[in-house]
Amino acid sequence: MTDAIVVEGLVREFKGGIRAVDGIDLHVRAGEVYGFLGPNGAGKSTTVRMLTTLLRPTGGRASVAGFDVVAEAASVRRAIGVALQDAAIDPFMTGRELLRLQAVLHAIPRHEGHARAEELLERVGLTDAADRRVGTYSGGMRRRLDLALALVHEPVVLFLDEPTTGLDPTSRVALWEEVRRLNRESGTTVFLTTQYLEEADQLAGRVGIIDGGKIVAEGTPTELKTSVGDPTLIITPADAARVADTADVLAQFGPAADGKPGSAAVRLAAGAEGIVQVVRALDEADIATAAIDLHQPTLDDVFVIKTGHRLEGDASAAPGAGRRRGRGPKVSR
Amino acid sequence: MSPAIRQTAALARRSINSTFRFPQAWFPSLFFPLVLMAIFTASFGRSVAFIPGFPHVDGFLSFAVTGAIVQGVLISAVGAGAFFAGDIEGGFFDRLVSSPASRSAILVSRLCASVVLAAGQATFFLLIALIFGATVQGGVVGALIVIVLAALLAIPIGGLGVLLALRTGSAEAVQGMFPLFFALMFFSSTFFPRETMTGWFKIVAEINPISHLVEGMRVQVISGVNWPEAGISLAIIIGLAVLTVGGSAINLRRRLEGDS
Repeated sequence: MTDAIVVEGLVREFKGGIRAVDGIDLHVRAGEVYGFLGPNGAGKSTTVRMLTTLLRPTGGRASVAGFDVVAEAASVRRAIGVALQDAAIDPFMTGRELLRLQAVLHAIPRHEGHARAEELLERVGLTDAADRRVGTYSGGMRRRLDLALALVHEPVVLFLDEPTTGLDPTSRVALWEEVRRLNRESGTTVFLTTQYLEEADQLAGRVGIIDGGKIVAEGTPTELKTSVGDPTLIITPADAARVADTADVLAQFGPAADGKPGSAAVRLAAGAEGIVQVVRALDEADIATAAIDLHQPTLDDVFVIKTGHRLEGDASAAPGAGRRRGRGPKVSR
Repeated sequence: MSPAIRQTAALARRSINSTFRFPQAWFPSLFFPLVLMAIFTASFGRSVAFIPGFPHVDGFLSFAVTGAIVQGVLISAVGAGAFFAGDIEGGFFDRLVSSPASRSAILVSRLCASVVLAAGQATFFLLIALIFGATVQGGVVGALIVIVLAALLAIPIGGLGVLLALRTGSAEAVQGMFPLFFALMFFSSTFFPRETMTGWFKIVAEINPISHLVEGMRVQVISGVNWPEAGISLAIIIGLAVLTVGGSAINLRRRLEGDS
């Protein structure tokens, strides 16, 4: 199977010479969930806008579902489903009207479009709210409707630009579940941007980290985590007087690491599998343990090491809150 | 039905529905012209016969109703522009553009919606005026000419609104242009006949195409069916439409090419 998305040396320069996207390369295989992770202003949305034909690249090339995003933009538009940031929906329309309109935009015959609208309303759990104006929907409902809208024509590639920014944790998990199901059941390729490490970790088969318009790391979440170092094992002896003895035992397994007071820590050179040997050695040294903690490097660690700074607005830093984008659901008519 | 026509119809229907569901969008376009028509009629209704140069009319209301219609169309066209800008701001425009929908349907649907709304407005104002004692000398044909011209007027004016929306991408900026539209109307014969004006004001009103546009409509109400005058109005509408709709199309293309 060919790649669903191929990007080579893609550049977008804005007036004033600002390079929002500064020469990125990426390949997304068909059927894959690819997570594009980066802070605000890293170039995620600009990349998505180019891949969805909303913005022309100023350099390089990109193809989606086998079609060039500039030369074959119309074919790209037929193949993709797009849910952009902020769930762009007319607050004065009902969910059902919007789905039917979206079907017309995709030139789906009337009967088929209506049937598809009902099916999708059911799927995202909005059947009861279908005849309510979208302006009365909660944030989670709007995002679910936005997802349904992107699926009207059964796209080959689905673009989700920060699908859960501003959502509460429950709505976020529900949306993740829906994306997983879609990928599993229909084999839809998903290109997802996020500023949440947890989201990339949970959903994406492969993650690309973008910062300052450049991809700084790419791989599966596990590959990325192991690439930045070994897991840290923290042992808290039952007898606080034996912390030093514990540290001596741990020294055989790798370099010492910072632990909490009353405990000793080591970077396990053998990886997480080495934990068995450590426990056996502690047993031989007759050290009873009160607690054993294993810390795998997180995507956060990867991010810090690759970019030199933390990811602001991360879900784990501000649980459930996230950072609301500049404009919320807008009712300005 | 071809997909492009279906898309135009569906998007036009959406524009009309959303306008009706947001009273702030349609209420001013009916209310303000009515108020002005009522005030003028109450103030000048009796003195018309004594104003030198005022054409013979069957009551001031008959004279004022076409002005109210044009004013109403102008207000709703600004609303149409603001609505379109709101779509750009809110991202609905991106939804349309990222779909394979016909590009021209996006523009044409908005203008079609404005035409339908303007026809409704013109009918509404004529009915109100008739109820309050105005007479349409041109009869049913005269009334239809006025309604059709008002509906067509929505194309150039709506086109201007969309043009501003595409250039600024801001509903507020479009609404900010409103006083300009209003000035254009005041410096014309929309509310008073040119015959009653003097000095520079008269010169401005004579140059202002809005004057000739309104007069071509008004004559159908106050004197009777007059095809040559209707033709002048139509020519002005077509001329303005070429400018504003053409400008919108160019700006739409520019925006779609992502250079803005």
